[in-house]
Amino acid sequence: MSAAMDQTAQIRQKARELLENKVVDCVIGYERATDGVNARPLFVYEPEEADRLIFDQTCTHNLTRYLLNRKGKPTAIVVKPCDSRAINLLLNESQLQREKIHIIGVVCPGVVERQWRQASAKLLNACQVCQQHVPVIYDVLVGELPSEPTVAEHYPDVVEMEAKSAEERQVFWKEQFSRCIRCYACRQACPGCYCPECFAERLDPLWVGIRIAPGENEVWNTIRAFHLAGRCIGCYQCEQVCPVDIPLSLLNRKLEKEVLGLFNFQAGMDAETSPPFSTFKKEEKLGIGE
Amino acid sequence: MAVDFEPRIVGFLCNWCSYAGADMAGTARICYPSNIRIIRVPCSARIDPLLVVKAFQLGADGVLVAGCHPGDCHYTEGNYYSRRRFAMLHPFLEYLGIERERFWLQWVSASEGKKFSQVVSTFTDGLIKLGPRKAVTVQ
Amino acid sequence: MARIGVFICHCGTNIAGTVDINGVVEAAKQMPMVVHAAENKYNCSEPGQALIRDAIVEHRLNRVVIAACSPRMHENTFRKTVAAAGLNPYLLEIANLREHCSWVHGDGKEAATIKAMELIRMAVAKVARHEQLFPKQVPLTKRALIIGGGISGIQAALDIANAGHKVVLVEREPTIGGRMAQLDKTFPTLDCSSCILTPKMVEVAQHPNITLLTSAEVKEVKGFVGNFEVSILQKTRKVDHTKCTGCGICWQKCPEKAPSEFDVGMGKRTSIYIPFPQAVPPKPVIDTSSCRYYKYLRFMEEKKEGKPPPQCRVCEKLCPVNAIDWEQKDEILTEKFGAIIVATGYKPFDPTIYSELGFGRHPDVITGLQLERMMSASGPASGEVTRPSTGEHPKDVVFLTCVGSRDEQRGRTYCSKVCCMYIAKHAIMLKEHDPEVQCYVFYMDVRTVSKDYEEFYKRAQESGTIYIRGKVSQIRQEDGKLIVRGEDTLLGEMVEIPADMVVLAIGMEHNPGAVELAQALKVSYDVNELFIEAHPKLRPVETMSDGVFVAGACVGPRDIPESVASGGAAAAKVAVLFSQDFLTTDPMVAVIDQMKCGGCLLCTKVCPFKAIDTQVLRDGRTVAVVNESLCKGCGLCVAACRFGAPNLRGFTQQQLLAEVTSLWQ
Repeated sequence: MSAAMDQTAQIRQKARELLENKVVDCVIGYERATDGVNARPLFVYEPEEADRLIFDQTCTHNLTRYLLNRKGKPTAIVVKPCDSRAINLLLNESQLQREKIHIIGVVCPGVVERQWRQASAKLLNACQVCQQHVPVIYDVLVGELPSEPTVAEHYPDVVEMEAKSAEERQVFWKEQFSRCIRCYACRQACPGCYCPECFAERLDPLWVGIRIAPGENEVWNTIRAFHLAGRCIGCYQCEQVCPVDIPLSLLNRKLEKEVLGLFNFQAGMDAETSPPFSTFKKEEKLGIGE
Repeated sequence: MAVDFEPRIVGFLCNWCSYAGADMAGTARICYPSNIRIIRVPCSARIDPLLVVKAFQLGADGVLVAGCHPGDCHYTEGNYYSRRRFAMLHPFLEYLGIERERFWLQWVSASEGKKFSQVVSTFTDGLIKLGPRKAVTVQ
Repeated sequence: MARIGVFICHCGTNIAGTVDINGVVEAAKQMPMVVHAAENKYNCSEPGQALIRDAIVEHRLNRVVIAACSPRMHENTFRKTVAAAGLNPYLLEIANLREHCSWVHGDGKEAATIKAMELIRMAVAKVARHEQLFPKQVPLTKRALIIGGGISGIQAALDIANAGHKVVLVEREPTIGGRMAQLDKTFPTLDCSSCILTPKMVEVAQHPNITLLTSAEVKEVKGFVGNFEVSILQKTRKVDHTKCTGCGICWQKCPEKAPSEFDVGMGKRTSIYIPFPQAVPPKPVIDTSSCRYYKYLRFMEEKKEGKPPPQCRVCEKLCPVNAIDWEQKDEILTEKFGAIIVATGYKPFDPTIYSELGFGRHPDVITGLQLERMMSASGPASGEVTRPSTGEHPKDVVFLTCVGSRDEQRGRTYCSKVCCMYIAKHAIMLKEHDPEVQCYVFYMDVRTVSKDYEEFYKRAQESGTIYIRGKVSQIRQEDGKLIVRGEDTLLGEMVEIPADMVVLAIGMEHNPGAVELAQALKVSYDVNELFIEAHPKLRPVETMSDGVFVAGACVGPRDIPESVASGGAAAAKVAVLFSQDFLTTDPMVAVIDQMKCGGCLLCTKVCPFKAIDTQVLRDGRTVAVVNESLCKGCGLCVAACRFGAPNLRGFTQQQLLAEVTSLWQ
C-alpha cells in the first residue's frame, strides 16, 4: 500500500498548504473511521488538522455532494475519477463556481466494498467495470497511473437484464421495488439529486403516494433513475447506501448505456457539452416516432 | 381471455396537430376503437415523463403520445425535445418490464385524421394481442 | 369547495344519436363535486347558453364542464358564456364528446356512452383544479422601428406615420431608396423608377412623424412586443448633418474619385459624396477609405517612408457652414419601440461563381443591374448603352435568365421572380433606344404571373426579341465579339450567337448580416438565410416573434408591387397593434416557483422563445423566472424541469395528473 501512503502524504501536504495560504477555508477529504478499518468524510478547517486526512481503497464516498452546502465558499475537495465527473455535472448545471473550488484529484485503482467493521478486498461492482482511473477535472493530481485493467464489456449486467423477457424483468423489478422502504438514502448520497423539494415528497401534485406500497415505490425508483438520465456520473453511491440492496446501478447503467448509444454522451466528462435533454438535432433518428 | 380484454389507453395529444388530427377523424366520421382516453396538452414537449410513468402505475395498458411532425411544431422546436425525452423513456420502460408495444410516440398532423384512426386502431389491436399487463399492482 | 356544473350537449343527433345522454347525465351527477348536471339540445345556441348562465347563478356553480364538441371549436364561446354569468372565464373545461367520441364510435352505442362518461369524469377532475386566470395588461410604446429604407420600408414608414404614430426609419446606406432607386424603368408600365420613388423619399424626409437615420444599423434588440429596446449604431459620416445644407460645393470640388456603389461599378463618385442626385437626405458623407485626408492620416500613423500624400481638406475649406467634422465618431443610440418591421431587402446575386459565363473576365458581360444603371438618364452613361470594351453601341445583345436562381448545384433553388420580366423590359427598351438592336434570350421557362405581365412578355417577343429555350454552356471572346454557345432544347441542337454584349439576369439573395439581425430579433430564417414568416399564407407579414414584422424581399424574391403591398400590410399590422392602449397577454403561460427552482437553468436553454430569464434572489440563489410577455405557453420547461418548479397555467401538473388519475377512480 505504498502508493496509498504516498497519496495520503501528498493530500495532507496539499491540504495544509491550501489552508495555510488561505486559498480555501475548508478541505473536504477522508479520515479513518472509528472502527479503525473504514473511511469517513472529514472537513478540515485548520492546517494542523490536515494530518487526519487519508486516502486508500476504503475511501468509497463521493464527497462532491458536500460542495452543494458550501456554495460560494472557497473549498478544496478530494475526488476520485468518478467523483470528478460529478463536479463537471454540477458546473454544467450552474451549481458550483469553478474558481471557488480547488480539486485534489486522486488516481484511483477502484475502491473496495465495505463490511461491518472491516473492509473487504473485493472491488465494488462499479469499480470492476470502471475505465476511468484518472479524474477528468482537477487542479492537482495525486498518485500515479496504475496499469490499465481492460474491460471487454462495459454493461454486462445490463445486457443480461435486457435479454430477459418483459415478464421476467417486470417480476424482477417488482420484487426489488417491493423491498424499498423509501428512506431516500439513495437520493441523499447522490450528487445529482439536489432538488430543493423532491418530487417524491410533494403533496400537490401527489406523484408518489405516501404509503410505502409497491406501486408507489415503483414510481419513485423509476423517476429517480430517469431524473439522472444523461446525468448519472457512475459513482453508484445510491447503490452503496441502499439498506435493502436494491441494484440501483442496474437502472442507472441502463440509462447510461442508452444515452451513450443514442446521443454519444457521457455525463460529467466535461463541463461544457450540452447534456442530451438540453439540445437536439433536427435530422436525428432515434428509433421513435418514425 | 384476450377476446374480452378491453385495454385502457391514455393518449396525450398536442393541441395544434394531433388533437386537431383526432378532431379531423371525427369530422370525417372515421371509426376507431373506443379504448383511448385523450388528454389535451399544448405541445408534446409539455408531457412530463412522470405522467406516463404514473399512467402505467395506475394500470394503463398503453400510453400514446402524439405530436406534430418534426419541423411542424407550433412552438417551432418542442417536438424535437419530446423525441429525445421519449426515445430515452421508451427503452427504460421496456427495461422495467413494460413491453415496447405499450408505449407509442407518433407524429400526427392536423390533416391526418385517417392516420390518427389507424394509429389508434393498430395500437389497440396490438395491446389486445399482448393481453393485460401481468404484474400490475393495483392499489 | 368546487361546485361543478356539467352541461351535456345533444348537438342535435350528432352526440345524442350515439351516446345515451340520460345515462351520461345521471352518471355525471354522481361524480365528485358535481352539484348540477343537465342536458341541452344545443349548448352553443343562445337559449342553450342562457340555460348555462341561469344554472351557474341558480346552483352557485364555480366550475363548469361543457360536454359537447371539440374545445378547438367552441372553447372561446363558452368562456364568454361563463364570464357573462360572473365566473372567471378560465374556470371552464370542455369534454370533447363529439369529435372524439360520438362521431368516431358510431358503431358501438354502449362503448361510446361509457367513453363519454369517462371523458366527463376527466374534465370534472381537471376543472376542479382550475384556477382563476387573469390576462395581464402591459403598456406599449406606440413607436415603430423600420429597418431598411427601400421601397418596402418607405411604404411602411409612410403608412404608420400617416396613421399618427412615430416612426424611426433606419437605413444602412447613406440614402434611402434601396434597390428601386437604382432602376431605370419599371415593368410592365415602363414608368420611370425615380419619378415614382423620389416623391415618396422626399415625403419620408419631410414627414413630421418620421425620424430618418441613414448610415445606421440595428445592433441589439432587447425586450418584447410593445416594449423593445433597440441599440442603433449611427456610423460616422464625418459631416455634421445638422449644419450641412446640401449645397453640393464639397462633392463638386472633391478631387478624389472612387467606384460608385450605387452605379454598380459603371461610374465613379467623389470621396465626399451623395450616392445619386436625388438622395435623401441630400447631404454627403465622406468615404474615409478613399478620402485623401484620411490617406494622409493613415500614412502618418503608419510612419511610412517617403513623401506624405497631400492633406487636401478641400471640402473643409470650401464648406460655407463648417459642417465637415473630422472628429465625428460612431455613436450608439438606444431607443424604445413597440413594434419592428424588417424590410432589409436583398442583394443582387454575384455571378462571378459562374466562371463559364465570364463575368469579370469579359468586360462586355454585365449584370442586369449594371445595364439598368447604364440605361438610366441620370446614370453614369446618361442613358446611352455602350459596350464597356469599345464604347460602341451594341447591336446583338444576349440575355441569360436564372443566373443564380433555380440552380440546385449553386445552392440557390428558388426562382428570382423578377428576371424574366426585367429581361423583357430590357429587350423592349434596347429596341426603343436603337431599332437596329437584336436581342436574344436564353431561358429555362418564362414566368409572367401578375397582371399585365404576360402581355408585356408578348410585347418583347413582338418587338423582335428571339427567345431560345436552353442553357448557355460557354461564352468566349472571338474577333471582338462574344460567342455565346448554348443548347436550344426545343430544336435539340447547339447554337452559337456572336454578341456585342451579354446581360446576366441575376437573381436575388439575402443581404449580408441578415442572419445576425434575425438572431437579434429572434426571428427564424431558412437555409437561404431569408426570413421566415409566421405562416406563409395566413400570416405573411408576421413572424414567430410577436411585434416583429417582415416586408419586402428579405423574405424571398419580390417585385415592386409585392414589396409595396407587404410594406403596407406590415404597417397595417403595426397600426392594429398600436390601436390598443395596453397589450393583453394570454394568462395560460408558464410560471416558476422560485422556492422549488434549483437554479440549473436548463429551462433557459431549452425555451424556444427565450422567455426565461435568470434572477438573483436576496439569499444569493440564482433562479429562473418567466417573462410572461414572451412565453407562448408550450410547457416545454415544465416537463424539462426535474425540480418541478415551473407549471403551466391552464395545463398544470395537478390538472393533467388529475385527468390521468380520474380514469382509475
